[in-house]
Amino acid sequence: MMTNLFSVFDPTSSVLMLPLNWMSTFLGMMFLPMLYWAMPSRWSLLWTLITSTLHKEFKTLLGSSHFGTTLMFVSLFSLIVFNNFLGLLPYVFTSTSHLTMTLALALPLWVAFMMFGWINHTQHMFAHLVPQGTPGALMPFMVLIETISNVIRPGTLAVRLAANMIAGHLLLTLLGSTGPSLSATLISMLIIGQILLLILEAAVAVIQSYVFAVLSTLYASEVT
Amino acid sequence: MLSRLALRSVQEARPFLVAVRPTSTTAVNKATERDEVNFPRRARPVEPGKVRMGFLPEEWFQFFYSKTGVTGPYMFGVGLTTFLCSKEIYVMEHEFYTGLSIFVMAVYAIKKLGPGIANYLDKEIEDIEGSWVKYRQESVEGLKQAVEDEKKAQWEAEGQKILFDAKRENVALQLEAAYRERLATVHSEVKKRLDYQLETANVKTRIEQKHMVNWIVNNVKASITPAQEAAALKQCFADLKGLAPQSA
Repeated sequence: MMTNLFSVFDPTSSVLMLPLNWMSTFLGMMFLPMLYWAMPSRWSLLWTLITSTLHKEFKTLLGSSHFGTTLMFVSLFSLIVFNNFLGLLPYVFTSTSHLTMTLALALPLWVAFMMFGWINHTQHMFAHLVPQGTPGALMPFMVLIETISNVIRPGTLAVRLAANMIAGHLLLTLLGSTGPSLSATLISMLIIGQILLLILEAAVAVIQSYVFAVLSTLYASEVT
Repeated sequence: MLSRLALRSVQEARPFLVAVRPTSTTAVNKATERDEVNFPRRARPVEPGKVRMGFLPEEWFQFFYSKTGVTGPYMFGVGLTTFLCSKEIYVMEHEFYTGLSIFVMAVYAIKKLGPGIANYLDKEIEDIEGSWVKYRQESVEGLKQAVEDEKKAQWEAEGQKILFDAKRENVALQLEAAYRERLATVHSEVKKRLDYQLETANVKTRIEQKHMVNWIVNNVKASITPAQEAAALKQCFADLKGLAPQSA
Protein backbone atom coordinates (compact mmCIF):
# COMPACT_ATOMS: atom_id res chain seq x y z
CA MET A 1 0.00 0.00 0.00
CA MET A 2 1.44 3.33 -0.99
CA THR A 3 1.23 5.86 1.80
CA ASN A 4 2.80 8.53 -0.36
CA LEU A 5 4.48 8.77 -3.71
CA PHE A 6 7.94 8.29 -2.25
CA SER A 7 7.19 5.14 -0.35
CA VAL A 8 8.53 3.12 -3.28
CA PHE A 9 11.99 4.28 -2.15
CA ASP A 10 11.33 3.25 1.41
CA PRO A 11 10.33 -0.43 1.59
CA THR A 12 10.46 -2.53 4.74
CA SER A 13 10.74 -6.28 4.71
CA SER A 14 8.74 -8.23 7.24
CA VAL A 15 11.58 -10.56 8.32
CA LEU A 16 12.67 -9.30 11.74
CA MET A 17 11.96 -5.76 10.44
CA LEU A 18 15.49 -5.78 8.97
CA PRO A 19 16.11 -3.63 5.91
CA LEU A 20 16.78 -6.63 3.65
CA ASN A 21 15.81 -4.60 0.61
CA TRP A 22 19.43 -3.42 0.44
CA MET A 23 20.42 -6.95 -0.61
CA SER A 24 19.31 -5.94 -4.10
CA THR A 25 22.69 -4.21 -4.39
CA PHE A 26 24.24 -7.65 -4.77
CA LEU A 27 21.68 -8.83 -7.31
CA GLY A 28 24.05 -7.79 -10.08
CA MET A 29 26.46 -10.51 -8.99
CA MET A 30 23.93 -13.08 -10.18
CA PHE A 31 24.21 -11.64 -13.67
CA LEU A 32 27.97 -11.77 -14.01
CA PRO A 33 29.07 -14.61 -16.30
CA MET A 34 30.98 -17.61 -15.05
CA LEU A 35 34.43 -17.62 -16.59
CA TYR A 36 35.25 -21.27 -15.87
CA TRP A 37 35.55 -22.46 -19.46
CA ALA A 38 38.24 -21.32 -21.85
CA MET A 39 35.81 -20.80 -24.73
CA PRO A 40 33.43 -17.90 -23.99
CA SER A 41 29.68 -18.33 -24.02
CA ARG A 42 27.44 -15.68 -25.59
CA TRP A 43 26.83 -13.78 -22.40
CA SER A 44 30.42 -13.97 -21.17
CA LEU A 45 31.62 -12.78 -24.59
CA LEU A 46 29.18 -9.87 -24.51
CA TRP A 47 30.27 -8.94 -21.02
CA THR A 48 33.93 -9.21 -21.99
CA LEU A 49 33.30 -6.97 -25.01
CA ILE A 50 31.57 -4.35 -22.83
CA THR A 51 34.25 -4.35 -20.15
CA SER A 52 37.11 -4.29 -22.62
CA THR A 53 35.55 -1.31 -24.44
CA LEU A 54 35.25 0.46 -21.10
CA HIS A 55 38.79 -0.47 -20.21
CA LYS A 56 40.05 1.09 -23.46
CA GLU A 57 38.06 4.24 -22.78
CA PHE A 58 39.38 4.62 -19.26
CA LYS A 59 42.91 3.79 -20.25
CA THR A 60 42.93 6.74 -22.67
CA LEU A 61 41.72 9.02 -19.90
CA LEU A 62 44.09 7.76 -17.26
CA GLY A 63 47.22 7.72 -19.39
CA SER A 64 49.54 4.80 -19.65
CA SER A 65 51.26 5.14 -16.29
CA HIS A 66 48.66 3.37 -14.15
CA PHE A 67 47.94 -0.14 -15.32
CA GLY A 68 45.23 -1.85 -13.39
CA THR A 69 43.49 1.31 -12.18
CA THR A 70 40.82 0.82 -14.83
CA LEU A 71 39.75 -2.28 -12.90
CA MET A 72 38.32 -0.18 -10.12
CA PHE A 73 36.39 2.10 -12.43
CA VAL A 74 35.06 -0.70 -14.63
CA SER A 75 33.79 -2.57 -11.57
CA LEU A 76 32.29 0.67 -10.26
CA PHE A 77 30.50 1.04 -13.59
CA SER A 78 29.18 -2.51 -13.49
CA LEU A 79 27.91 -2.15 -9.91
CA ILE A 80 26.05 1.04 -10.75
CA VAL A 81 24.69 -0.14 -14.10
CA PHE A 82 23.31 -3.35 -12.63
CA ASN A 83 21.75 -1.50 -9.72
CA ASN A 84 20.19 1.13 -11.95
CA PHE A 85 18.97 -1.29 -14.56
CA LEU A 86 17.61 -3.95 -12.24
CA GLY A 87 15.88 -1.27 -10.21
CA LEU A 88 13.65 -0.63 -13.21
CA LEU A 89 12.22 -4.13 -12.93
CA PRO A 90 9.14 -4.38 -10.75
CA TYR A 91 9.59 -5.13 -7.07
CA VAL A 92 13.38 -4.59 -7.19
CA PHE A 93 14.72 -1.95 -4.84
CA THR A 94 16.95 0.65 -6.52
CA SER A 95 19.77 1.10 -4.05
CA THR A 96 21.51 3.78 -6.14
CA SER A 97 18.51 6.07 -5.73
CA HIS A 98 19.53 6.68 -2.13
CA LEU A 99 22.11 9.28 -1.23
CA THR A 100 23.44 6.84 1.37
CA MET A 101 24.56 4.53 -1.41
CA THR A 102 25.79 7.10 -3.91
CA LEU A 103 27.61 9.16 -1.32
CA ALA A 104 29.17 5.95 -0.02
CA LEU A 105 30.54 5.44 -3.53
CA ALA A 106 31.52 9.02 -4.35
CA LEU A 107 32.85 10.38 -1.06
CA PRO A 108 35.56 7.79 -0.32
CA LEU A 109 36.81 8.06 -3.90
CA TRP A 110 36.98 11.83 -3.76
CA VAL A 111 38.52 11.97 -0.28
CA ALA A 112 41.14 9.42 -1.34
CA PHE A 113 42.02 11.39 -4.47
CA MET A 114 42.22 14.66 -2.54
CA MET A 115 44.32 13.26 0.29
CA PHE A 116 46.70 11.57 -2.14
CA GLY A 117 46.91 14.62 -4.36
CA TRP A 118 47.38 17.24 -1.67
CA ILE A 119 49.87 15.24 0.36
CA ASN A 120 52.00 13.91 -2.47
CA HIS A 121 51.62 16.40 -5.32
CA THR A 122 50.86 19.62 -3.47
CA GLN A 123 52.33 21.94 -6.08
CA HIS A 124 50.53 20.11 -8.89
CA MET A 125 47.22 20.49 -7.05
CA PHE A 126 47.80 24.18 -6.47
CA ALA A 127 48.62 24.57 -10.15
CA HIS A 128 45.33 22.93 -11.11
CA LEU A 129 43.42 25.59 -9.23
CA VAL A 130 44.20 28.12 -11.94
CA PRO A 131 43.25 26.99 -15.44
CA GLN A 132 45.54 27.74 -18.35
CA GLY A 133 45.15 31.09 -20.00
CA THR A 134 43.34 33.02 -17.29
CA PRO A 135 44.11 36.71 -17.27
CA GLY A 136 46.11 37.87 -14.24
CA ALA A 137 43.38 39.95 -12.65
CA LEU A 138 40.90 37.08 -12.56
CA MET A 139 43.22 34.61 -10.85
CA PRO A 140 42.00 35.04 -7.25
CA PHE A 141 38.41 34.53 -8.33
CA MET A 142 39.40 31.52 -10.42
CA VAL A 143 41.08 29.96 -7.40
CA LEU A 144 37.93 30.50 -5.37
CA ILE A 145 35.71 29.06 -8.07
CA GLU A 146 37.92 26.07 -8.71
CA THR A 147 38.13 25.33 -4.99
CA ILE A 148 34.37 25.42 -4.66
CA SER A 149 33.92 23.19 -7.71
CA ASN A 150 36.46 20.77 -6.30
CA VAL A 151 34.78 20.67 -2.91
CA ILE A 152 31.30 20.01 -4.26
CA ARG A 153 32.49 17.19 -6.54
CA PRO A 154 31.46 14.30 -4.27
CA GLY A 155 28.13 16.03 -3.76
CA THR A 156 27.52 16.41 -7.48
CA LEU A 157 28.53 12.85 -8.25
CA ALA A 158 26.25 11.46 -5.59
CA VAL A 159 23.30 13.75 -6.12
CA ARG A 160 23.39 13.44 -9.92
CA LEU A 161 23.04 9.67 -9.75
CA ALA A 162 20.49 9.63 -6.96
CA ALA A 163 18.36 12.40 -8.46
CA ASN A 164 18.26 10.77 -11.91
CA MET A 165 17.18 7.47 -10.43
CA ILE A 166 14.58 9.09 -8.18
CA ALA A 167 13.15 11.17 -11.00
CA GLY A 168 12.74 8.21 -13.33
CA HIS A 169 11.20 5.98 -10.73
CA LEU A 170 8.92 8.70 -9.51
CA LEU A 171 7.52 9.25 -13.01
CA LEU A 172 6.97 5.55 -13.53
CA THR A 173 5.29 5.22 -10.15
CA LEU A 174 3.09 8.22 -10.83
CA LEU A 175 1.94 6.83 -14.16
CA GLY A 176 1.50 3.35 -12.82
CA SER A 177 -0.51 4.36 -9.77
CA THR A 178 -3.30 5.61 -12.05
CA GLY A 179 -3.52 2.12 -13.53
CA PRO A 180 -6.03 0.45 -11.21
CA SER A 181 -8.61 3.15 -11.90
CA LEU A 182 -8.37 3.14 -15.71
CA SER A 183 -10.59 1.58 -18.33
CA ALA A 184 -9.23 -0.99 -20.75
CA THR A 185 -8.47 1.34 -23.69
CA LEU A 186 -6.73 3.85 -21.46
CA ILE A 187 -4.60 1.08 -20.00
CA SER A 188 -3.12 0.40 -23.45
CA MET A 189 -2.17 4.09 -23.69
CA LEU A 190 -0.69 3.84 -20.22
CA ILE A 191 1.36 0.85 -21.32
CA ILE A 192 2.63 2.74 -24.37
CA GLY A 193 3.57 5.75 -22.24
CA GLN A 194 5.33 3.56 -19.73
CA ILE A 195 7.19 1.77 -22.50
CA LEU A 196 8.52 5.09 -23.76
CA LEU A 197 9.49 6.11 -20.25
CA LEU A 198 11.18 2.80 -19.66
CA ILE A 199 13.24 3.17 -22.81
CA LEU A 200 14.34 6.56 -21.53
CA GLU A 201 15.01 5.15 -18.08
CA ALA A 202 17.06 2.28 -19.41
CA ALA A 203 19.19 4.71 -21.37
CA VAL A 204 19.51 7.00 -18.35
CA ALA A 205 20.50 4.05 -16.19
CA VAL A 206 23.38 3.13 -18.45
CA ILE A 207 24.41 6.70 -19.17
CA GLN A 208 24.43 7.81 -15.55
CA SER A 209 26.59 4.90 -14.52
CA TYR A 210 28.94 5.66 -17.36
CA VAL A 211 29.07 9.31 -16.40
CA PHE A 212 29.81 8.43 -12.79
CA ALA A 213 32.65 6.14 -13.77
CA VAL A 214 34.12 8.51 -16.34
CA LEU A 215 34.05 11.47 -13.99
CA SER A 216 35.72 9.46 -11.26
CA THR A 217 38.36 8.51 -13.80
CA LEU A 218 38.83 12.13 -14.76
CA TYR A 219 39.20 13.20 -11.17
CA ALA A 220 41.73 10.44 -10.65
CA SER A 221 43.71 11.41 -13.73
CA GLU A 222 43.73 15.04 -12.63
CA VAL A 223 45.42 14.18 -9.39
CA THR A 224 48.34 12.24 -10.83
CA MET B 1 22.21 -24.43 22.79
CA LEU B 2 25.51 -22.68 22.33
CA SER B 3 27.37 -25.73 23.65
CA ARG B 4 25.55 -27.85 21.01
CA LEU B 5 26.67 -25.34 18.39
CA ALA B 6 30.24 -25.53 19.70
CA LEU B 7 30.14 -29.35 19.61
CA ARG B 8 28.79 -29.31 16.05
CA SER B 9 31.47 -26.85 14.94
CA VAL B 10 34.17 -29.06 16.44
CA GLN B 11 32.68 -32.12 14.73
CA GLU B 12 32.63 -30.30 11.44
CA ALA B 13 36.13 -28.95 11.97
CA ARG B 14 37.55 -32.41 12.64
CA PRO B 15 37.63 -33.46 8.95
CA PHE B 16 39.67 -30.34 8.32
CA LEU B 17 42.06 -31.32 11.09
CA VAL B 18 42.29 -34.78 9.58
CA ALA B 19 42.93 -33.24 6.21
CA VAL B 20 45.68 -31.06 7.60
CA ARG B 21 47.53 -33.96 9.24
CA PRO B 22 48.89 -35.89 6.21
CA THR B 23 51.48 -33.29 5.30
CA SER B 24 54.64 -35.22 4.62
CA THR B 25 58.03 -33.64 4.83
CA THR B 26 59.46 -35.79 2.04
CA ALA B 27 58.81 -35.00 -1.60
CA VAL B 28 55.66 -36.81 -2.65
CA ASN B 29 54.21 -36.67 -6.13
CA LYS B 30 50.62 -35.58 -5.50
CA ALA B 31 49.65 -35.73 -9.17
CA THR B 32 47.83 -39.06 -9.08
CA GLU B 33 45.03 -39.83 -11.50
CA ARG B 34 41.64 -38.33 -10.81
CA ASP B 35 38.89 -40.65 -9.65
CA GLU B 36 36.55 -40.24 -12.62
CA VAL B 37 33.74 -42.36 -11.16
CA ASN B 38 33.12 -40.52 -7.91
CA PHE B 39 34.35 -37.13 -9.10
CA PRO B 40 33.39 -36.91 -12.75
CA ARG B 41 34.79 -34.03 -14.74
CA ARG B 42 32.45 -31.14 -15.31
CA ALA B 43 30.83 -31.42 -18.73
CA ARG B 44 29.90 -28.27 -20.61
CA PRO B 45 26.33 -28.17 -21.92
CA VAL B 46 26.07 -27.05 -25.54
CA GLU B 47 22.46 -25.89 -25.44
CA PRO B 48 20.84 -23.92 -22.60
CA GLY B 49 18.26 -25.71 -20.50
CA LYS B 50 14.94 -26.32 -22.24
CA VAL B 51 12.24 -23.83 -21.27
CA ARG B 52 8.64 -23.25 -22.21
CA MET B 53 7.28 -19.77 -22.82
CA GLY B 54 10.76 -18.37 -22.37
CA PHE B 55 11.32 -18.86 -18.66
CA LEU B 56 9.51 -21.93 -17.28
CA PRO B 57 11.83 -24.95 -17.07
CA GLU B 58 10.82 -28.10 -18.89
CA GLU B 59 11.46 -30.14 -15.72
CA TRP B 60 8.42 -28.55 -14.04
CA PHE B 61 6.19 -29.74 -16.88
CA GLN B 62 7.69 -33.22 -16.70
CA PHE B 63 7.00 -33.23 -12.97
CA PHE B 64 3.30 -32.59 -13.61
CA TYR B 65 3.01 -34.93 -16.60
CA SER B 66 2.70 -38.22 -14.75
CA LYS B 67 -0.19 -37.00 -12.60
CA THR B 68 -2.07 -34.50 -14.71
CA GLY B 69 -0.95 -35.02 -18.32
CA VAL B 70 -0.17 -32.29 -20.82
CA THR B 71 -2.62 -29.58 -19.74
CA GLY B 72 -1.89 -30.03 -16.03
CA PRO B 73 0.79 -27.39 -15.53
CA TYR B 74 -1.09 -24.80 -17.58
CA MET B 75 -4.25 -25.32 -15.55
CA PHE B 76 -2.22 -25.06 -12.41
CA GLY B 77 -0.71 -21.77 -13.58
CA VAL B 78 -3.99 -20.25 -14.65
CA GLY B 79 -5.70 -21.36 -11.43
CA LEU B 80 -2.94 -20.04 -9.24
CA THR B 81 -2.82 -16.63 -10.94
CA THR B 82 -6.61 -16.32 -10.81
CA PHE B 83 -6.61 -17.19 -7.13
CA LEU B 84 -3.86 -14.70 -6.31
CA CYS B 85 -5.45 -11.89 -8.29
CA SER B 86 -9.04 -12.45 -7.23
CA LYS B 87 -8.26 -12.73 -3.54
CA GLU B 88 -6.06 -9.63 -3.81
CA ILE B 89 -3.12 -11.59 -2.43
CA TYR B 90 -1.24 -10.21 -5.42
CA VAL B 91 -2.29 -6.57 -5.70
CA MET B 92 -2.13 -5.02 -9.16
CA GLU B 93 -0.70 -1.70 -8.25
CA HIS B 94 1.78 0.56 -10.01
CA GLU B 95 4.59 -1.99 -10.06
CA PHE B 96 2.34 -4.38 -11.95
CA TYR B 97 1.75 -1.96 -14.81
CA THR B 98 5.49 -1.19 -14.95
CA GLY B 99 6.07 -4.94 -15.07
CA LEU B 100 3.56 -5.28 -17.89
CA SER B 101 5.32 -2.60 -19.92
CA ILE B 102 8.67 -4.21 -19.30
CA PHE B 103 7.26 -7.57 -20.36
CA VAL B 104 5.98 -6.12 -23.64
CA MET B 105 9.32 -4.38 -24.24
CA ALA B 106 11.30 -7.50 -23.40
CA VAL B 107 9.30 -9.76 -25.71
CA TYR B 108 9.63 -7.27 -28.55
CA ALA B 109 13.36 -6.77 -28.00
CA ILE B 110 14.07 -10.49 -27.75
CA LYS B 111 12.07 -11.32 -30.86
CA LYS B 112 13.54 -8.48 -32.92
CA LEU B 113 17.13 -8.06 -31.70
CA GLY B 114 17.73 -11.51 -30.22
CA PRO B 115 18.69 -13.45 -33.36
CA GLY B 116 20.89 -10.63 -34.63
CA ILE B 117 22.89 -10.33 -31.42
CA ALA B 118 23.03 -14.11 -31.06
CA ASN B 119 24.41 -14.52 -34.58
CA TYR B 120 27.00 -11.79 -34.02
CA LEU B 121 28.15 -13.34 -30.74
CA ASP B 122 28.20 -16.81 -32.24
CA LYS B 123 30.37 -15.53 -35.04
CA GLU B 124 32.78 -13.98 -32.54
CA ILE B 125 32.93 -17.26 -30.61
CA GLU B 126 33.54 -19.12 -33.89
CA ASP B 127 36.37 -16.69 -34.62
CA ILE B 128 37.99 -17.28 -31.24
CA GLU B 129 37.57 -21.04 -31.45
CA GLY B 130 38.67 -20.95 -35.07
CA SER B 131 41.83 -19.09 -34.16
CA TRP B 132 42.73 -21.72 -31.56
CA VAL B 133 41.94 -24.58 -33.94
CA LYS B 134 43.76 -22.78 -36.73
CA TYR B 135 46.82 -22.30 -34.53
CA ARG B 136 46.87 -26.00 -33.68
CA GLN B 137 46.32 -27.01 -37.31
CA GLU B 138 48.95 -24.62 -38.56
CA SER B 139 51.41 -25.94 -36.02
CA VAL B 140 50.71 -29.48 -37.18
CA GLU B 141 51.02 -28.39 -40.81
CA GLY B 142 54.25 -26.61 -40.06
CA LEU B 143 55.68 -29.64 -38.33
CA LYS B 144 54.61 -31.93 -41.17
CA GLN B 145 56.23 -29.56 -43.62
CA ALA B 146 59.36 -29.60 -41.50
CA VAL B 147 59.37 -33.42 -41.63
CA GLU B 148 59.01 -33.30 -45.42
CA ASP B 149 61.81 -30.77 -45.69
CA GLU B 150 64.01 -32.87 -43.47
CA LYS B 151 63.39 -35.93 -45.62
CA LYS B 152 64.21 -33.93 -48.71
CA ALA B 153 67.39 -32.66 -47.10
CA GLN B 154 68.40 -36.23 -46.28
CA TRP B 155 67.72 -37.32 -49.87
CA GLU B 156 69.76 -34.39 -51.12
CA ALA B 157 72.57 -35.33 -48.78
CA GLU B 158 72.56 -38.83 -50.19
CA GLY B 159 72.63 -37.41 -53.66
CA GLN B 160 75.83 -35.67 -52.66
CA LYS B 161 77.55 -39.06 -52.57
CA ILE B 162 76.82 -39.59 -56.25
CA LEU B 163 78.15 -36.12 -56.86
CA PHE B 164 81.35 -37.05 -55.06
CA ASP B 165 81.82 -40.06 -57.32
CA ALA B 166 81.15 -38.00 -60.40
CA LYS B 167 83.61 -35.37 -59.25
CA ARG B 168 86.20 -38.01 -58.53
CA GLU B 169 85.72 -39.45 -62.02
CA ASN B 170 86.00 -36.00 -63.48
CA VAL B 171 89.24 -35.37 -61.72
CA ALA B 172 90.59 -38.71 -62.85
CA LEU B 173 89.63 -37.90 -66.43
CA GLN B 174 91.33 -34.56 -66.19
CA LEU B 175 94.46 -36.17 -64.81
CA GLU B 176 94.44 -38.74 -67.64
CA ALA B 177 94.01 -35.99 -70.22
CA ALA B 178 96.85 -33.97 -68.74
CA TYR B 179 99.07 -37.08 -68.71
CA ARG B 180 98.32 -37.85 -72.33
CA GLU B 181 98.94 -34.30 -73.35
CA ARG B 182 102.29 -34.31 -71.65
CA LEU B 183 103.08 -37.67 -73.23
CA ALA B 184 102.36 -36.21 -76.68
CA THR B 185 104.51 -33.18 -75.87
CA VAL B 186 107.36 -35.41 -74.81
CA HIS B 187 106.96 -37.49 -77.97
CA SER B 188 107.04 -34.45 -80.22
CA GLU B 189 110.01 -32.92 -78.44
CA VAL B 190 112.01 -36.13 -78.66
CA LYS B 191 111.07 -36.47 -82.35
CA LYS B 192 112.22 -32.92 -82.96
CA ARG B 193 115.54 -33.64 -81.37
CA LEU B 194 115.94 -36.87 -83.36
CA ASP B 195 114.88 -35.16 -86.60
CA TYR B 196 117.47 -32.52 -86.00
CA GLN B 197 120.13 -35.12 -85.57
CA LEU B 198 118.94 -36.86 -88.72
CA GLU B 199 118.94 -33.67 -90.73
CA THR B 200 122.37 -32.73 -89.60
CA ALA B 201 123.63 -36.19 -90.50
CA ASN B 202 121.94 -35.99 -93.93
CA VAL B 203 123.35 -32.58 -94.59
CA LYS B 204 126.76 -33.70 -93.57
CA THR B 205 126.59 -36.73 -95.89
CA ARG B 206 125.31 -34.63 -98.77
CA ILE B 207 128.03 -32.09 -98.41
CA GLU B 208 130.63 -34.79 -98.10
CA GLN B 209 129.32 -36.46 -101.21
CA LYS B 210 129.23 -33.25 -103.20
CA HIS B 211 132.66 -32.37 -102.07
CA MET B 212 133.92 -35.80 -102.91
CA VAL B 213 132.34 -35.76 -106.39
CA ASN B 214 133.78 -32.38 -107.12
CA TRP B 215 137.22 -33.47 -105.96
CA ILE B 216 137.08 -36.66 -108.04
CA VAL B 217 135.91 -34.86 -111.16
CA ASN B 218 138.48 -32.15 -110.72
CA ASN B 219 141.21 -34.69 -110.20
CA VAL B 220 140.15 -36.73 -113.24
CA LYS B 221 139.89 -33.59 -115.33
CA ALA B 222 143.33 -32.62 -114.22
CA SER B 223 144.73 -36.08 -114.94
CA ILE B 224 143.58 -36.14 -118.55
CA THR B 225 146.78 -35.65 -120.85
CA PRO B 226 146.38 -34.07 -124.33
CA ALA B 227 147.44 -37.32 -125.97
CA GLN B 228 144.63 -39.15 -124.19
CA GLU B 229 142.23 -36.37 -125.12
CA ALA B 230 143.14 -36.61 -128.81
CA ALA B 231 142.86 -40.40 -128.76
CA ALA B 232 139.43 -40.25 -127.11
CA LEU B 233 138.24 -37.69 -129.64
CA LYS B 234 139.46 -39.84 -132.55
CA GLN B 235 137.76 -42.85 -131.13
CA CYS B 236 134.46 -40.87 -130.75
CA PHE B 237 134.69 -39.79 -134.42
CA ALA B 238 135.24 -43.36 -135.49
CA ASP B 239 132.26 -44.60 -133.51
CA LEU B 240 130.08 -41.85 -134.87
CA LYS B 241 131.12 -42.76 -138.39
CA GLY B 242 130.35 -46.32 -137.75
CA LEU B 243 126.91 -45.45 -136.25
CA ALA B 244 125.96 -43.05 -139.00
CA PRO B 245 123.42 -44.53 -141.32
CA GLN B 246 124.67 -46.13 -144.39
CA SER B 247 123.69 -43.34 -146.70
CA ALA B 248 125.72 -42.34 -149.46
